Amino acid sequence: MRLLRYTLFRFAQAIPVLLGITVILFLFINMTPGDPIRIMTAGQEVSESHLAYLEARYGLDRPIHVRYWDYLSGFFTGDLGRSIHYNRPVSEVMMARIGPTLLLVLSAFLFAVVTAIPLGILAAKRRNQPSDHISRIVALFGVSTPSFWIGIMLIIIFAVQLGWFPSAGLVMPWDAPSDAGLSGYFWHMVDVLHHLFLPMIALGTLQMATIMRVERTQMIDSLQGEYVKLARAYGVSERTILRKHAFQVAQLPVITLVGLGLSTALGGAVLTETVFNINGMGRLLIDSIQQKDYQVVMSVATILAVIFVIGVIITDIAYAYVDPRVTYGEGE
Amino acid sequence: MAVSSESQVDGGDGASGEVAAKTWRDTLGRIKRDTTARWGLYVISVVLVVGLYAFVDTYLSTLTFGALDSYTMAEAIPIFDHPEHLPAPGESQPNQPPAFHVDGTLEYPLGTDPEGRDYFTRLVYGSQISVSVGIVATLLGTVAGTVVGAVSGYYGGRIDDILMRSVETLYAIPGLILIIVFTEFASGGQRNIQYAIIGVSLTTIPIFARIIRSRVLSVREMDYIEAARAAGVKDRYIIAKHIIPNSFAPVLVYATLEIGVVILIVAGLSFLGYGAQPPTPDWGRMLAQSYRYMHSNIWLSIWPGLAIMFTIMGFNLFGDGLQDALDPRIDN
Repeated sequence: MRLLRYTLFRFAQAIPVLLGITVILFLFINMTPGDPIRIMTAGQEVSESHLAYLEARYGLDRPIHVRYWDYLSGFFTGDLGRSIHYNRPVSEVMMARIGPTLLLVLSAFLFAVVTAIPLGILAAKRRNQPSDHISRIVALFGVSTPSFWIGIMLIIIFAVQLGWFPSAGLVMPWDAPSDAGLSGYFWHMVDVLHHLFLPMIALGTLQMATIMRVERTQMIDSLQGEYVKLARAYGVSERTILRKHAFQVAQLPVITLVGLGLSTALGGAVLTETVFNINGMGRLLIDSIQQKDYQVVMSVATILAVIFVIGVIITDIAYAYVDPRVTYGEGE
Repeated sequence: MAVSSESQVDGGDGASGEVAAKTWRDTLGRIKRDTTARWGLYVISVVLVVGLYAFVDTYLSTLTFGALDSYTMAEAIPIFDHPEHLPAPGESQPNQPPAFHVDGTLEYPLGTDPEGRDYFTRLVYGSQISVSVGIVATLLGTVAGTVVGAVSGYYGGRIDDILMRSVETLYAIPGLILIIVFTEFASGGQRNIQYAIIGVSLTTIPIFARIIRSRVLSVREMDYIEAARAAGVKDRYIIAKHIIPNSFAPVLVYATLEIGVVILIVAGLSFLGYGAQPPTPDWGRMLAQSYRYMHSNIWLSIWPGLAIMFTIMGFNLFGDGLQDALDPRIDN
């Protein structure tokens, strides 16, 4: 019950931030020197009357606060305007693209957490031994290598040279042929993973390295804690100490890190989608900028920011769930 | 009365200055002894020298000859070709492998690109953007973040609320997306590296503001600040002379680590076409170009990526070493 109240409280807290995001993005887009219509029509012969028509069509003839209000109210009613390039509602264009991005980002995080936490613990347990040094070097390479270059290298090695994985595209789990049956669905999932594997590693490596570093320091700190000494004095086995006492406390900063890492990962998705030619939100953002389709640019940027904010709230709630010390606001 | 309290303030300042100087000497000594920091410094020095050479040469030749493609100092030194000059038809040796390859020659240590230009020269000239933008953008972000954080922490109350909420909002938009949208719209579609620099520094402001603010909150309560305030010293002076210098150590560590992150982001921006614009050679852009030759010439994709990794690793190593050197818990 208390956790539920905390959840609602955190979501309520996020409202000003979400409003702020829309203000910042709206200001950016209206900051353009010269008006967007002229940029859109640059290099084409357009009559003055047609310019006026275009301005009226995209609502650019009205004062800025009215336009902001239109945009905001449209956002909450699901009406994000019309895409100039696709000539379809923006929400429809985005619905088709959001799946691949979410699949990519979530699987990258899954990969990062599943590999980083055991490696971080191992490094902390065998501090200053060869396995610690190796995992630290791996982490150093991970935080120093651009994700898109990892992607390019993976494509060169595993797709071009060895031919083990496809170099482009993504298959969605929910796109299975409807008459496939159980075994057909199984092979469809294999295909999904087959396509997902390389981009997932490219995007997840930075997260993996970051989490691994923090996990290691936290575990080292945690293993030197008073409660661990006490548990040892009571004769609790090292295994139990590692698994129960030290581990749980050490996870708290890691949870925060996962939430904040979502920001980097969503940005990284733009690059990964470009390298692996995946039709996700990131590609849509870049393409829409190229096509001067500013309605789409604005909406994609806002949605990606909203996804990040929601991700941070979820990790905050997870934090509160794991950490018994957190009071859920309101002086409880 | 006024005189005595002022001398008190000076006395306090002098004492804290001495302590600060001692800490700095101590820190420098620790950095010298720290193997990680030392290696980081070596790598940074190499990259800085190369980048500075490329920058000065490009700048000088632009000054004297008006354009990069007329002449550079590089041609006076036998190991370098001109980074942009295309070889005369018939003499061109496109897609040469590097020297250590059986088909490679020492004339082109890292091989040539599809236009027959020496890749080593291009790599050297490509260093200037990554390094200079990395440092300049971090510097801008540090200064802006420090001012915001110091003002916010020192005054507290409503000013604190407004500033920190705005900064949090900025942080809630995934970095790369914020930069891309900002660069596109601020420049009105005429992409330029200056806008990318401002965009990148915008994303670093929140981090520095938060670090400085938390430090300021504790420094603010110190006796010497109280004394200065009682003596009627202006707030602006207190912030500039006492608060910021005494809160700066963690920012310094973070700034070094952040340079690595910024270079990573700038590489991604250039890869997407938002960083350096032609004809300036740049590692990220070189990767975007080489991406098309993945099947015919893999060396083109390898070298710029390695260069980026090497550079970022230098800053990460140095930052890690600095962190250890400044961490009071770790006693060497």
